[in-house]
Amino acid sequence: MPDTAASKRFTVPIGPQHPALKEPGHFEFTVDGEIVTNAYVRLGYAHRGIEKAAESRNWVQNLYLLERVCGICSHIHGFAYSLAVERLANIEAPPRAQAIRVIVAELERIHSHLLWMGVSAHEAGFDTLFMYSWRDRETIMDVLEGLTGNRVNYSANVLGGVKFDVTPTQADIIRKGLTFLEERTKHYLDVIMHDTMFLQRTRGIGVMTRSQAEVMGALGPTARASNVQRDLRVEAPYAAYKDFPVQMVLDTRGDLEARFEVRINELFESYRLINQILDNLPEGELNVRVPRRIPAGEMIVRLEAPRGEVFYFIKSNGTDKLERLKVRTPTICNMTSVVRLSVGHQLADVPMILAGIDPCFSCNDRTVQIRQADGGAQPNGLSSLMSWEELRQYAIRKYEAR
Amino acid sequence: MSTLSALFAISIFPGGLFLLSSGLLYEWGNRKLLALLQNRVGPRWFQPLADTIKLLAKEEVIPTGTNKFLFIGLPMVALAGGLTAALYVPLAGLAPSASFDGDLIMVFYLLSLLTLCMGLAGTNTVSRFSLIGATRTLTQVFSYEAPFLLALLGVAAAAGSWQISNITAYSGQHWLILTQPLGFLVALIGLMGKLEMPPFDAPEAHTEIVAGALTEYSGRGLAFFHLGKAIELVIGLTLIAAFFLGGLSNPLWFLIKTLALLFIMVVLQALLARLRIDQTVGLWWRYGVLLVLVQWLLMVLL
Amino acid sequence: MKRFFTMLPDITRSLFRRPVTENYPAVQSETPERLRGALKWDPSTCTGCGLCVMDCPAEALELTVLDRKAKRFVMVYHVDRCTFCGQCVMSCKQGSIVMNNQSWELAALDRNSFATIFGAPEDVKEALANKPEDGAAKSE
Ligand code: SF4
Ligand code: SF4
Repeated sequence: MPDTAASKRFTVPIGPQHPALKEPGHFEFTVDGEIVTNAYVRLGYAHRGIEKAAESRNWVQNLYLLERVCGICSHIHGFAYSLAVERLANIEAPPRAQAIRVIVAELERIHSHLLWMGVSAHEAGFDTLFMYSWRDRETIMDVLEGLTGNRVNYSANVLGGVKFDVTPTQADIIRKGLTFLEERTKHYLDVIMHDTMFLQRTRGIGVMTRSQAEVMGALGPTARASNVQRDLRVEAPYAAYKDFPVQMVLDTRGDLEARFEVRINELFESYRLINQILDNLPEGELNVRVPRRIPAGEMIVRLEAPRGEVFYFIKSNGTDKLERLKVRTPTICNMTSVVRLSVGHQLADVPMILAGIDPCFSCNDRTVQIRQADGGAQPNGLSSLMSWEELRQYAIRKYEAR
Repeated sequence: MSTLSALFAISIFPGGLFLLSSGLLYEWGNRKLLALLQNRVGPRWFQPLADTIKLLAKEEVIPTGTNKFLFIGLPMVALAGGLTAALYVPLAGLAPSASFDGDLIMVFYLLSLLTLCMGLAGTNTVSRFSLIGATRTLTQVFSYEAPFLLALLGVAAAAGSWQISNITAYSGQHWLILTQPLGFLVALIGLMGKLEMPPFDAPEAHTEIVAGALTEYSGRGLAFFHLGKAIELVIGLTLIAAFFLGGLSNPLWFLIKTLALLFIMVVLQALLARLRIDQTVGLWWRYGVLLVLVQWLLMVLL
Repeated sequence: MKRFFTMLPDITRSLFRRPVTENYPAVQSETPERLRGALKWDPSTCTGCGLCVMDCPAEALELTVLDRKAKRFVMVYHVDRCTFCGQCVMSCKQGSIVMNNQSWELAALDRNSFATIFGAPEDVKEALANKPEDGAAKSE
């Protein structure tokens, strides 16, 4: 290493473009040999301005825009948005529609967790598990394609219900897929719980205690692996979860192994739930009419996505467009834990810890604050915010100085 | 040896052309078998060749802050080391084209040259990924090298010679895998470590440090390093097959035995998750060395 | 209890079976019945209400009403913009729009071939007279 100052603070940049990240984000790890001594994260590379864009579209069009907040859990966004709009308009989707929405949500959870298992196994250099879990995930993708007509962005929702029915033939196809997957999942559970080499990479790595998880505001399976009882399907059941309760999957250990086990045990819960709903599907309509203008008001909806809680705030002003929308996805809440937990671990464990929260960067990037380059002129030590006009002037100056 | 036959040995067989093409084919075998075990299709037979040609045709970017001479020279030395080593091993089941007393030790160090060159190449650049990769590469060298050498020397001791041709003559009569199973195990796994195959791929773990020591390499340099590795695979397999699996009397046996070894290595690659570098070191010094020492003890006692 | 080689059963089985990878252009699996492919529009049932155009999130539909009584409508459908969400099918109360589960291989090299124009030939001619930029588009 060239000089001593550099060797004292040897930082490893990961991202915005890096093989460990499938989406852009920037991490800086200060390492001492192989041990991480400090970590820093910067997000915002994939900000797409969806919230602003939503203000210029009508209520129906927004459904499809918001479905594209996340490519993996697309249904849950459409679900949350339609629930919010329906509540604002004071209507309720028919029970059959609610049940079908939950079926798709759980199928989505299965596909998301299987995908995550593969990615995490890949980060640990266990490519065989990666290939097999993705191969089996294909089953669920085919089921979703047959059921909804698309492999991603299923567009199952319309305002006031769902687009399609689950026919008995469809139900049989789903059951068959789930039976196969249940067998496979048992095997995977065995692998992640007993494989010596794999356990070396997961057991006791990235331990997050319950109080840490609560302080850092962790969500979803990441929190549940630290024994934080946080699952909206149980705490505040919505849609068909009221009639078909789910069991919360918890673990007390809080390490990567626990996160693996929690997610895989959640798969079993999803299989059970889907089968139960399929057996007791309520009869009735698929959707009800929703007015084109939604009464003025504000509404908050929180749903349990595969990665944790998604939060929707919608403000309507009584026209055919919404006035303000706010989306918060679970990754942003879990991101702190990556930075905190990496410290003290080996550099080799960092991708595993990052993958452990199941990050989804482009859905957590919401706003970007641009600060002046005045080096902390504010009393609180931060640089002052740049206004829109200042940013514009800055851009013009920059352009002219080319 | 006449000049003509020497030229032939260096450029066609067993040196140059034959070795390069068999190296690429064995690399393909490795990738294809791994793919089949993972229920994938895998590359077509010419893929490694196509990759090499593509790399050779690409521009070689020399990053700032590096010593140009070393940056260009190291890959060549690495490849040359591998090619030279081939002259002393019984490739394709035929007698080695050159031989002298003690050539085993020389071949061994020629094979290490590749790893050392990679380590040096990594430290030569200022990229942080390369530096960490180089540190890991060199750390790993010091962990597997001693057990690997001891395992091979076990065979030499049994044969009572340090000359590869004498050893193969001896091991042709004795299936040493039966008398030295621990040595065989350590040698095989040591070869995987040498080639940085999973689970010993921490030095080039791409989810952490991109491509490790070779991150800054592109074009010709990268192609040379890849070729060097492919060659080392063939030579390593040849050595282990010749030493432990009853010698290599003819090309057919060579093919069967080396492919069997390759298959075992692929299965191990498929089944094991990557080890962290501290775990690799621990594994080798705690178990690898112990196994070889037990093997030696048994040899002395029996 | 820790074990080595937990995935041994998987790889042994894979040795004796074909890779699961679909050899796509050579082998094509059957498309599901509900697959959302390119749209088909039927002018005879359309009432020209324009709901589909209003609700399309991708602004992929353009409806020109020449004569509502005589059912002279021209629909320009931009496949390249369409997200295949199926909202237009839901919005249309007349069932004039259906999605074709067979037409999903839609890649093309030039932009013009992405616009599909539905309607009677003479209507299309009249409608296009006012919209010259779509003149090169293929009509159906
Ligand atoms: S499928 Fe969706 S995007 Fe395509 S034309 Fe219909 S409404 Fe528009
Ligand atoms: S919604 Fe149906 S009836 Fe109305 S314009 Fe569109 S196709 Fe015609």
